[in-house]
Amino acid sequence: MLITCPYCGPRDVIEFTYQGDGNRERPDPASQNFEAWNAYVYDRLNPAGDHNELWQHSGGCRAHLRVVRNTLTHEISSVAFARGNHAPAARRKSEDKP
Amino acid sequence: MSPRRTDTGGRIDRLKTIRFTFDGVAYTGHAGDTLASALLAKGVTLFGRSFKYHRPRGLLTAGVEEPNALVTVLKGEVREPNLPATMVEIHDGLVAVSQNRFPSLAWDVNAINQLGGKVLSAGFYYKTFMGPVVGPLKGTRFWMFCEHFIRRAAGLGRAGSAKDPARYERMNAFCDVLVVGSGPAGLMAAKAAADQGARVILADLEPRFGGSANWSGEIIDGAPATEWTRRIVTQLEARDNVRLLPRTTVWGYYDNNTLAALERVSDHKEQPAKGEPRHRYWAIRARSVVIAAGAFERPLVFPGNDRPGVMLAHAAERYANEFGVLPGERIALFTNNDSAYRAAVALKKAGAAVVAIADVRSDLSAEMRKLAAEAEAEVLAGYAVVATEGGKALSGIKVQRFDMVTGTLSGDARSIHADCLLMSGGWSPTIHLASQAGAKAEWSAARQAFLPPSPTLNSPVQHWIGAGAFTGSFSTAEAIAEGRAGGIAATGGTAAPTTTPTVQAVPGNPDPAPVFEIRAKGKSFVDFQHDVTSEDVRLAHREGFVSVEHLKRYTTLGMATDQGKSSNVPGLSIMAEALGKPIPEVGTTRFRPPFAPVSIGSLAAERFGDLKPERLTPMHDWHTTNGATMYSAGLWYRPMIYGHAGETVEQAYVREARATRESAGIVDVSTLGKIAVQGPDAAAFLDRVYTNMFSTLAVGKARYGLMLREDGFAFDDGTTWRLGEQDFLMTTTTANAGKVMQHLEYFLDVIWPELKVHVTSVTDEWAGAAIGGPKAREILASCVTGTAVDNATLPFMGIVHGEIAGAPVMICRLSFSGEMAFEVYSGAGHGTHVWEALIEAGKPFGLVTYGLEALGTMRIEKGHVTGAEIDGRTTARDLHLDWMLSKKKPFIGSAMMDREGLVASDRLELVGLIALDNQPLSGGAHIVEELEEANPHGSIGHITACCYSPALGKHIALALVEGGKARHGSRAHVSDPLRNRFGPVEIVSNHFYDPEGTRMHG
Amino acid sequence: MVERLSPLEPEFHVGSHGNFEHGVEILLTETRPGSIVQLAAWPGEEKKLIAAIRAVTGLALPDGAGGGLSEGVKAVFGFAPGKFTVSDEAEGLAHAFAKAVTPAIGTVTDLSHGRTAIRIAGPKAEWVLAKFFAIDFALPAFPVGAGRSTVHHDVFAQIQRTGTDQFDIYVFRSFARSFWKALCHASEEVGYEVQ
Repeated sequence: MLITCPYCGPRDVIEFTYQGDGNRERPDPASQNFEAWNAYVYDRLNPAGDHNELWQHSGGCRAHLRVVRNTLTHEISSVAFARGNHAPAARRKSEDKP
Repeated sequence: MSPRRTDTGGRIDRLKTIRFTFDGVAYTGHAGDTLASALLAKGVTLFGRSFKYHRPRGLLTAGVEEPNALVTVLKGEVREPNLPATMVEIHDGLVAVSQNRFPSLAWDVNAINQLGGKVLSAGFYYKTFMGPVVGPLKGTRFWMFCEHFIRRAAGLGRAGSAKDPARYERMNAFCDVLVVGSGPAGLMAAKAAADQGARVILADLEPRFGGSANWSGEIIDGAPATEWTRRIVTQLEARDNVRLLPRTTVWGYYDNNTLAALERVSDHKEQPAKGEPRHRYWAIRARSVVIAAGAFERPLVFPGNDRPGVMLAHAAERYANEFGVLPGERIALFTNNDSAYRAAVALKKAGAAVVAIADVRSDLSAEMRKLAAEAEAEVLAGYAVVATEGGKALSGIKVQRFDMVTGTLSGDARSIHADCLLMSGGWSPTIHLASQAGAKAEWSAARQAFLPPSPTLNSPVQHWIGAGAFTGSFSTAEAIAEGRAGGIAATGGTAAPTTTPTVQAVPGNPDPAPVFEIRAKGKSFVDFQHDVTSEDVRLAHREGFVSVEHLKRYTTLGMATDQGKSSNVPGLSIMAEALGKPIPEVGTTRFRPPFAPVSIGSLAAERFGDLKPERLTPMHDWHTTNGATMYSAGLWYRPMIYGHAGETVEQAYVREARATRESAGIVDVSTLGKIAVQGPDAAAFLDRVYTNMFSTLAVGKARYGLMLREDGFAFDDGTTWRLGEQDFLMTTTTANAGKVMQHLEYFLDVIWPELKVHVTSVTDEWAGAAIGGPKAREILASCVTGTAVDNATLPFMGIVHGEIAGAPVMICRLSFSGEMAFEVYSGAGHGTHVWEALIEAGKPFGLVTYGLEALGTMRIEKGHVTGAEIDGRTTARDLHLDWMLSKKKPFIGSAMMDREGLVASDRLELVGLIALDNQPLSGGAHIVEELEEANPHGSIGHITACCYSPALGKHIALALVEGGKARHGSRAHVSDPLRNRFGPVEIVSNHFYDPEGTRMHG
Repeated sequence: MVERLSPLEPEFHVGSHGNFEHGVEILLTETRPGSIVQLAAWPGEEKKLIAAIRAVTGLALPDGAGGGLSEGVKAVFGFAPGKFTVSDEAEGLAHAFAKAVTPAIGTVTDLSHGRTAIRIAGPKAEWVLAKFFAIDFALPAFPVGAGRSTVHHDVFAQIQRTGTDQFDIYVFRSFARSFWKALCHASEEVGYEVQ
């Protein structure tokens, strides 16, 4: 598997670390909304199809990347720096929750 | 008569004789021979014993798909089992032995299993070894009892236990076009792609490029196919955009056109050249792949089809044309298709008598009849072979009239004297790589085979193009045209019309008759290597296995080392017939990597032994030359003790710890993770990362900090030093350095991109020496220049800059040992210089060097936590670090740390333990209230770290125990049935020694 | 000044090794620059940082990710977005940059002790490096002057191509000896000389 790092170009997956579901949005640090924190820390989307993922090019430039990867075909349709690119608008539907 | 070498012909060098042994017998062969061809040339027909029934087996094939002739090659003490003799190139000194026989190949006691054929059918082990319901051997215990004997009788070669001294390597390669297979299709594809200027890799698992051109006897472009091949290969060799990889099996096709290949670099040599690896694992990233992997010929399933002397038709053609070996003198053929007729002609030309061709088809083309006449063979159209005769070699066959529409036999069986029977059940394209790449194979009723889908159906992450027999195009003319088109298409070009090389070939219809099995009395083998018969497949069906995936697992069809290369389609056809469904509805299993067995050594490559990466501190060589016993901590090597002659580990660390508390000790702390945190927002960032405040820290001071994870559990601890307004040096535990770095980078990149902070690993920039003890300050005062180190200049948690022996140093007064202590940091390249100066300065004060054991002892005495306690399940409160949880600000983990379960009163909390029986405690031992040695239960916690404390004169431990502080002063027991350690302990505070900290504050 | 100890010392054996009877195809050496400095710009300040690099070293960085150049005793290349490695035979580069790179532009991190620079040269340099790193070393994909960040197992490496068949590899000092041994081992089949 190759991921095309926007800085380094296409690199083998051995250079990358998966950093989790890219759909999560961290609540405001001062927030006491426990539901929101719980969702952020524990809830993960597991779609059959395109998935927003976070990867770090840990064995390269070390930038975190937002990767859209299809969990069925393994096709990567986009890669962007995480810095300056927010989590996609929440796609979490009620049926996604456990 | 028996097989023999022909006087002329073949690609072997008859002038070069090679000597080797097989089962202890000396043989000779020629350069270019495989073990199979060389032995066959000497009349050897018996190569192995079958897996289950120990039936005698000979060569079925001439290539990688060989299921029968598996041998073990011995190189010194090292044995490599299960190699197909067809893939072992002989060299002087080669030592090979047969497998799965006792005492010898010819006399095998387990051959008695043949008599138990009915009993050993599919599912035998599952059914038999369920075991009785009661008694000493109930359930799986019966299996465990029998397993040893069964494993001895069944199976393949024996693995060795000697250390393999061979060198294995990994290689990364990039190319525009990878061509798999070097037959006419592959050669043309490589040439066409190279002509377009593409970077090309051409890989073939055989030592010789050319594939079928090596033995087809065809004429290409007016020259023998072998000549034509040599011409193309010479052209490719001359190009610097082409890499040729012979002896290289492409065995895995992974996402984004990443392919794995195994190059057998020096197996065929008596000795590898200096530095040359045995195997090289190639990780190839190809823009596109041309799969020209050819096709495998299929056996027919009929009684006795596994007798030595029964062989695939093309294999015999290969032995005759490529190796100059006749597999028999009187050869009969049995076929359902035209391709066998070419083999008949080839063998006739090579000098054999072709006695008969039995063809399941009653209507034969005039062309085939003409070829049969050319071979001077009797044609038995509408006949089938129903039995074979002979012992360890074939002596004859029986044929009977066969109606291929009804599958019925009629008339009397007729015996034909033959010493070799060639069979052909049609051809299956080698679709393995395409299947691995996710392609769904498509059944072709015409070819009676699964064909790869067309390239337009490729998945979005793999890009390959097929060419030649791989696509079901079995003629060389088609292969050449498809190869050229594929090579050009793989580079993104379009093929201009051109004249392709002409081919003169024997005619033939590529479509076989849909006959796979002749149902007659006797064992008919489908999977030769796993001894699966057609009756086993039907038995599985009768027992209710309807899915092909279940069939495979129940019968183990296709699960041997050959992974069903020859048995897959015949097995499916029998299953389909039993189910009453057409083959495509039954479906096929997906092929998985590897295509062929891969040496584990090649996968481990250089990450093994001396070459596995290790991290050394700047003072490493000083430690090893001054008596340190080194201890591997992750990738790091750290001194464990500096033992004196005759000392035990315990004596050494007790001496080191005691001396440190009495005078002074010095320890290498260079392995601590160090991260430069720089930028205008560095202080604000640290406030969010740590549970306590860092923005209030003065420049030139350090502070102990605690980090939590987002879920509120403790993560890591360490001191962070403020070197400048916007410049911090964070230290982490040795083990967590990488994780903390990643944690910080994640928050800066993903969560708080607005913060102007850079983090850089500077672990390796600094050498660190911690010097502690009542005399530590005096020692420093005697060797540090450029700064004072007195209490006013260097208070607790203060930082000063100075020099030691001319090298710049940074000194921070902080303590892990509980003594008055200092961490002295210098540039890593000056580390040993500064260390030696400190040792020298310490001599008059009784300074000792101490290692990890003494370090651990002193930290247990002080009750400090490390990774053993911050184990991912403990909270700050559990570790009595709640005083560090700031209430003035949110920080990572603050929102989650007060959850119900994390503040519950029954959580395990950090305590100290003292052994009341004055015996050593053991790490990991459970703590119980009531001791019951015979029935250990009722754990209230466990020991995380233990030692003998020289300061207390007792065996002590840190432990995580339910209730924690509330139990101080009470008694409990350690219960460690694994190490048979039981005994009374007192639960005390984790701060065993100098709880007020008067020693370190001075 | 106190001389810096090389981490390679006990494993650094000057002379020809391996399969060298037919000539050596690899030269290995440690370049031992006096200064190795990491510079990192805040977002949007990269151009100012590049100007500062030019002012201090005289090296004019080309555009583009991983761009770089080396001239004699000095070298610079980009290894991550807005981040550059600069090396110089002379010591004191971090001090020089401390003035030129203001807090508004970015940060300066001195890694002169923390990284070890190993040079591999010769006709088989690409072949030997391909045994370690999953990156394309072919000249069109990795031009002279350019830098790459990559990893061999746990050994992080920044690699600059400093010639058609010459590469300078910056590795963490603690890993340097282990990596050096592996590099020598991998060079044996083609014959190598340590200089």
